Amino acid sequence: MSAVEVKQVSKSFGSRQAVANVTFSVRGGEVLGLLGPNGSGKSTLMKTIVGIIKPDAGSIQVLGTNVAADPVAVKRMIGYVPEAPRLYEFLSGVEYLDFVADIHGLGKGERQERILEFLKALDLEGRENELIHGYSQGMKQKLAIAAALLHHPRVLVLDEPLNALDPRSARIVKDVIHKLRNNGVPTIFSTHVLEIADAICDRIIIVYDGRIIAEGTSQELKTKAGSAGSTLEEVFLKLTGTSDTRDIVEALGR
Amino acid sequence: MKFGTVWHLAIVLTKSQLRSSQRRKFLAKWFGNPNIIIILDVLLVGILGTLGYFLVSRTPTDLLDTFGRLEVEGLIGIPTITTFMIILFGILSELSQPIQSTSTDLVNWLPISPSEYVLGSTISLSYTYSFLLAFFLSIALGPALYFGHGLILVASAIMGLISLFIGSSAVELLRAMTNRISSSFYRKSGRSGIFVRLSLTVVVLVFFQLLFSGRVIVSLLGGLTHTVATTWYVPIMWPSLVIQTLSAPTDLPPLGFGLLSLGFMFGLFGLAIGMRRAYWVPVPVSIRLSAQPYRSSFSIFRIPGLDTAESAIIHKDLRSLTRRREMARFIAIPFVLAASLWISVYPFGGSSEGLGSAAIFVYLIPVAIFCEVLSMTSIGQEGSAIWNLYVAPIDANKLVRAKMLLTIMMGTLFTVALLLAVTFLSKQEPGQFVSLLILGPIVVLEESALGICIAGRFPDFRETVRSRYVSIWGSILGTIIGLIVAFATAAPILLADTFQIAFPPIIIGTVIGGLVFVALWKLAIHQVNRLLTEIQV
Repeated sequence: MSAVEVKQVSKSFGSRQAVANVTFSVRGGEVLGLLGPNGSGKSTLMKTIVGIIKPDAGSIQVLGTNVAADPVAVKRMIGYVPEAPRLYEFLSGVEYLDFVADIHGLGKGERQERILEFLKALDLEGRENELIHGYSQGMKQKLAIAAALLHHPRVLVLDEPLNALDPRSARIVKDVIHKLRNNGVPTIFSTHVLEIADAICDRIIIVYDGRIIAEGTSQELKTKAGSAGSTLEEVFLKLTGTSDTRDIVEALGR
Repeated sequence: MKFGTVWHLAIVLTKSQLRSSQRRKFLAKWFGNPNIIIILDVLLVGILGTLGYFLVSRTPTDLLDTFGRLEVEGLIGIPTITTFMIILFGILSELSQPIQSTSTDLVNWLPISPSEYVLGSTISLSYTYSFLLAFFLSIALGPALYFGHGLILVASAIMGLISLFIGSSAVELLRAMTNRISSSFYRKSGRSGIFVRLSLTVVVLVFFQLLFSGRVIVSLLGGLTHTVATTWYVPIMWPSLVIQTLSAPTDLPPLGFGLLSLGFMFGLFGLAIGMRRAYWVPVPVSIRLSAQPYRSSFSIFRIPGLDTAESAIIHKDLRSLTRRREMARFIAIPFVLAASLWISVYPFGGSSEGLGSAAIFVYLIPVAIFCEVLSMTSIGQEGSAIWNLYVAPIDANKLVRAKMLLTIMMGTLFTVALLLAVTFLSKQEPGQFVSLLILGPIVVLEESALGICIAGRFPDFRETVRSRYVSIWGSILGTIIGLIVAFATAAPILLADTFQIAFPPIIIGTVIGGLVFVALWKLAIHQVNRLLTEIQV
C-alpha cells in the first residue's frame, strides 16, 4: 500500500492553473524528488498534500487518511518545511521549538532530549536563547527543519530544505533523510539542485506547467530523454523544453 | 551629490510611503501616485480658503476684532505646529514599523551616498506631509485676505516650508540615532531591554496620542503664541518668530530669525547626513534572552481545560504582544483610553459627583474598543508566519479558544483597573457599581468573540507600517458592531428609568450578553474554519 496517494489533483488560482490533474504515489521508505522550473506548481502540490491548500479536484491520502476529510490527523503525521520558512521572529530558537513541541503534545523528557539533539547536530548550540530575528537565513532554515522533525513525523514533505544551508548542515539533513528512509518514513522532496536529487531520491517526478511530464528513477529519466550518458541537468532542460539557452546567455553576457 | 539620483530616490520613497497602505488596485492607482499630494494641497487651499473667506465676511462685526487677533496668532503658530506634527508622525511611523522592514535594504546595494539618501528622504517626507502645511494655510487663507494680512500669510507659507524641512531633517536624524542606540542597547540588555523598549514605546505613544485630545490641543495652541516671544532661544520657534516680529515689530529683526531658521535647517540636515554616514546600515540585533542552557518546560499558561497546543498559542501571542515593537500600540490602547477618559470627564476644579449613567458609557466604550481591537489583530498579526498554525494539528475550535483567551485575560485586567478608576472618579452608588462589575466581563467576552469573527473573515497578513491586521472594511464593520453589541448589553440598565421593567435590568443585560456571546462564538468558529481550509499567504 502507498504511504501517500495523490489522485487527479488540480488547483487553479484565478485563471492560472497551478496544478493540472496530477496523479502519483509514494511508498513507505521512498524518497520522491519533485523537480521543475520556478512556478511549475511544485510548492502548490506540496501544500495540498500537507492540507494547507484545498485542491479544486482530486483526492489525497496520507497513510490511509484522506487529507480533505481529516486534515488535523494528517498534520499530526507530517513534518513539513516550506520554501523560505517564516518563523516567529520574536521568539528565541528554543522557545520556537518548545512551541512546536507543545503544539504536537510532546512530553517533557522527550522534548528535552530531541531539542538538545537538534541544537547540537545543526550547530545551533550557544545561539538557542537568541531571538530568531537575529538569525541568519541558514540558521532559520535549520530551525525549521528541526521543528519539522521534532515530533517523529511519519511522512516528510520538504520544499527545498537545503536552501541556505552550509555544507555540513546540508550533509546532516541528507543523512537524516537516508536514516528515516531506512526506518520506512517516506519523503517528498523538492529541489533545484539536480545533483542532490540525483544522489538522494529513489524516484523523480518532473513537473512543468502544473503537469507531470516525466516520472522514474534518475537512470530511467535519462533513458527516456534519449541521453543515457548525460547529466540530470541536461535531461531536465531537455524535458522541460528549456535547453536552448544560448541566445539568453549571449544577451546577458553582452 | 547627484541631484538626478536624489530626485529619483525621492519619487521612489514617496511612492513607497503612499502605497504601503493601499491594498486595492483602484485606490493604489489614484492614491499611490505622488501627484495626488499636489492635487490634495491645491484642493485644500482652494476649498477651505474660499469657505474661510465666506465665513469671515459674514461674521458679526463685534466678533471681528477677536477673530482678527486669533487669525494672526494662527499664522504665527503655523511653522512651529508644522515641524511638531512632522516629528510626531515620523516617530509614530517609526514605532510601528514591522521588524522585517527596519533595514534600509535599498541603500545598501545601490550606489547612493548618505547625503543623497538623506536629501531624497527629506524631500520625500516634506512632500508627503505638505498636506499638513496646506491644511493650516488654507484655514488661515480666507481670514488673512479679509483682514489684509496677505504679506504675513506669504511669510507664514515660506517659513512653513522651511519648517517642513526642519521637521523632516529631525525625523531623519532620529531614525539614524534610534537605530544605533537601540542596536547597542538591545545587544547588551537582553530580556530587560525588551521590557524597557516596550515601556518606553507605550509611554511615547500615550504621550503623543494624548496631545490629540481636544482639551490639550486648545491649551497648547493658546499658549504657543504667548510663549513664542519669550522663547527666542528655542530653535524650533525661530520660523514662528519671523512671523511674530513681522506682525508686531520689535527690536529683533525678522530677517535675523529668518537666517537663523535657515541655519538651523541646514545644521539639522548636516547632522542627519553625519549620523547616516556613521550608522549607514542598522546593525542586526541579536538579543540573547538567557545565558542558561536549555531546560525543557511547558507553556506557563497551563489552564485547566486547555491542552498544551492552546496554552502554547496563548503564550506565543503574549510574547508577540510584548516583544514586537509594532504591537506596542495595542498595549498602549488601555492607557490612552484611561488617560483620555480622565482628561475628558474629570471636572478639573469642579465636583466629580453626578456622572450617573455617563459612567456606563465612559466605562464600557473603552473596554469594548480595547477588546475588539486586540481581538481583531489576533489572526492577521501572525503575518507570513501563519503557515506555522496551518500545519499545526489543531482545529478551528481550539484556535478560536486560544486566540480569544489572551484578549479575555488582557481585557479583564483592563476592565478591573478601569472600573476602579471610574468608581473613584464618579463616586458610584453600590447598585451601579455591581452593574458595572457584571457588565464589564460580559462585554469583554462579546467583544473578544466578535473580534475573532472579524479577524477570521477579514484578515490582513501584510506586514506594513501601522497595519491594523484586518482589512479597512473589517475594521470599520468590527468597530460599529462592537459598539452596537456593547450598547445592546447595557441598554436594559440605561433605559431602566424610562421603561418600567419587571425583571432587574442587570439580569436582562446578562441574558442578552450571553446570547450574543454564544452566537458570536459559533460565528467565530465558522469563520476560522473557513479560513483554515486554505492558506492566505
